Amino acid sequence: MARPFLGFGLGLRTDHYQYVIDNKPEVDWFEIISENYMVDGGKPLAHLDKIRQDYPMVMHGVSMSIGSTDPLNTDYLGKLKTLIDRVEPQWISDHLCWTAVEHINSHDLLPLPYNESTIEHIVSRIQTVQDTLGRQMLIENLSSYVTYNHSEMPEWEFVNEIAKRADCYILLDINNIFVSANNHHFEPKDYVNGIDSDRVMQFHLAGHSYNGQMIIDTHDHDVCDPVWALYEYALGHFGAVSTMIERDDNIPPFIELRQELAIAEEIAANVLTPQQLQIRSKLDLQGVA
Amino acid sequence: MSDLRELQQCFMGYLLDDSSSMIDEVESTPMLSAKGRLDIYASAYVLRLKEAMTTDYDKLALYLGDERFDKLMERYIDKFPSHTTNLRYFSVNLPELIRDEPDYAHIAELYELACIERAFADSFDAKDLQVATIDTLAALPEVAWENLTFDFQKSVQIVWLEHNSFPIWKALADDETPPKAEKLYPMAWILWRRSDLVTHYKMLATEEVAVLSLALQGKNFAVMCEKLLDFYSEEETPMKAIGFLQSWIAEEMLAGFKF
Ligand SMILES: [Fe+2]
Repeated sequence: MARPFLGFGLGLRTDHYQYVIDNKPEVDWFEIISENYMVDGGKPLAHLDKIRQDYPMVMHGVSMSIGSTDPLNTDYLGKLKTLIDRVEPQWISDHLCWTAVEHINSHDLLPLPYNESTIEHIVSRIQTVQDTLGRQMLIENLSSYVTYNHSEMPEWEFVNEIAKRADCYILLDINNIFVSANNHHFEPKDYVNGIDSDRVMQFHLAGHSYNGQMIIDTHDHDVCDPVWALYEYALGHFGAVSTMIERDDNIPPFIELRQELAIAEEIAANVLTPQQLQIRSKLDLQGVA
Repeated sequence: MSDLRELQQCFMGYLLDDSSSMIDEVESTPMLSAKGRLDIYASAYVLRLKEAMTTDYDKLALYLGDERFDKLMERYIDKFPSHTTNLRYFSVNLPELIRDEPDYAHIAELYELACIERAFADSFDAKDLQVATIDTLAALPEVAWENLTFDFQKSVQIVWLEHNSFPIWKALADDETPPKAEKLYPMAWILWRRSDLVTHYKMLATEEVAVLSLALQGKNFAVMCEKLLDFYSEEETPMKAIGFLQSWIAEEMLAGFKF
């Protein structure tokens, strides 16, 4: 069955609330950072509700800590469920990483060793999360700066295997592939070619920065040309995939981000047919599989 | 080490005080050593927490200046590792750290400034409740007044100050030079969010805070009136009490009535 295609979206950011509410700009959908709305009330939720009336949304989390060896945080999952009920997102995602151990939170996306025992550990946790939330989720590949001695397979194999066994989907961050390829010396296209197309549900695009030695996933610049090229390649490989640009720092006016998103639309229009690019939204991912 | 839990504990140890044996777990490459690679995470960890704290306490940061605020943040990060999934709540104990640490405790307005900023943050995203109206109050049956209690907006925060910390906060908020700190007398300030979602604030008179505190504790109208007898004559008291109620309603502090 064809994958849903939401079109081209942007990350919803505080700086742009008023612009979006006042101007209802032409954007197919928004991605929200779930944790920003896991509060009791006030402006964040009021703006969210208002903007949700006009746009489809997906929810993107940073704190599930799916790879941690701490027990799954049931309080977190409960709050996430409450937000899901409020937003009714097309789908939800989090990162293939760990963020906390012994209940200390790093507030960072920390990498995992790519081996069989880690796969088993994570698969069972994703299954628990999906059962708890009553829906499938997407897991996203990271930008990373270390390789563990105990890693035994390339990252794409690790991602694929988890998605297959847990029966979840993949949020493929094109920039993260590029960043990690540079930092760990692999071919970014090998990564794309290695990913199971049936599992890919969404793309992230973002900018990064170079610290003199490594590329750091800072989301504070425009998307760079090699990442656009890799995006083009990925579209050719996977077909139409819902695409959005993440911008978290040095945030420009909305209109500039919208222009950047137009580059993604243009590339997609070159690679894919209008038919492939027709929006096919699915309210419930469960219905897709 | 092949055990995932040990690996994670070791990694976290590196983030917290970079003393763990994590370096042995990570590959070095000609591009960058294991230590260089891990230090990217270690510095990002501190930077991210500092960024959150600077957002939460931006007036305090201005007041202290970069260097001193940075030192304060480092002390906090050492002493209060995050136990929350939401960065928004990471810095909630900063006022207490300031109160309890000799380096900061002797500058009394610092603790108060931090309390003001925390109160604003707590008010900002507190739960939304209905806003009580004068009509509902007027329509209460006679019998309701025998044991009438009040639900306030969850955004209501009372902050007790002994210094001119609110004028200092205000000057910092307006990009002006703050007045010199001075010790005054105990004053209660109230912060609350109105239906326009903006947080309002004002200083409370002694009589008002006396009854308001009781009302916030869930004490009934009769108890509040009794308290007002400390300030007013028996004839004045009922009108004064109703007057306070009306103003709390007009200012959208009240959510409802219970009886
Ligand atoms: Fe991403």
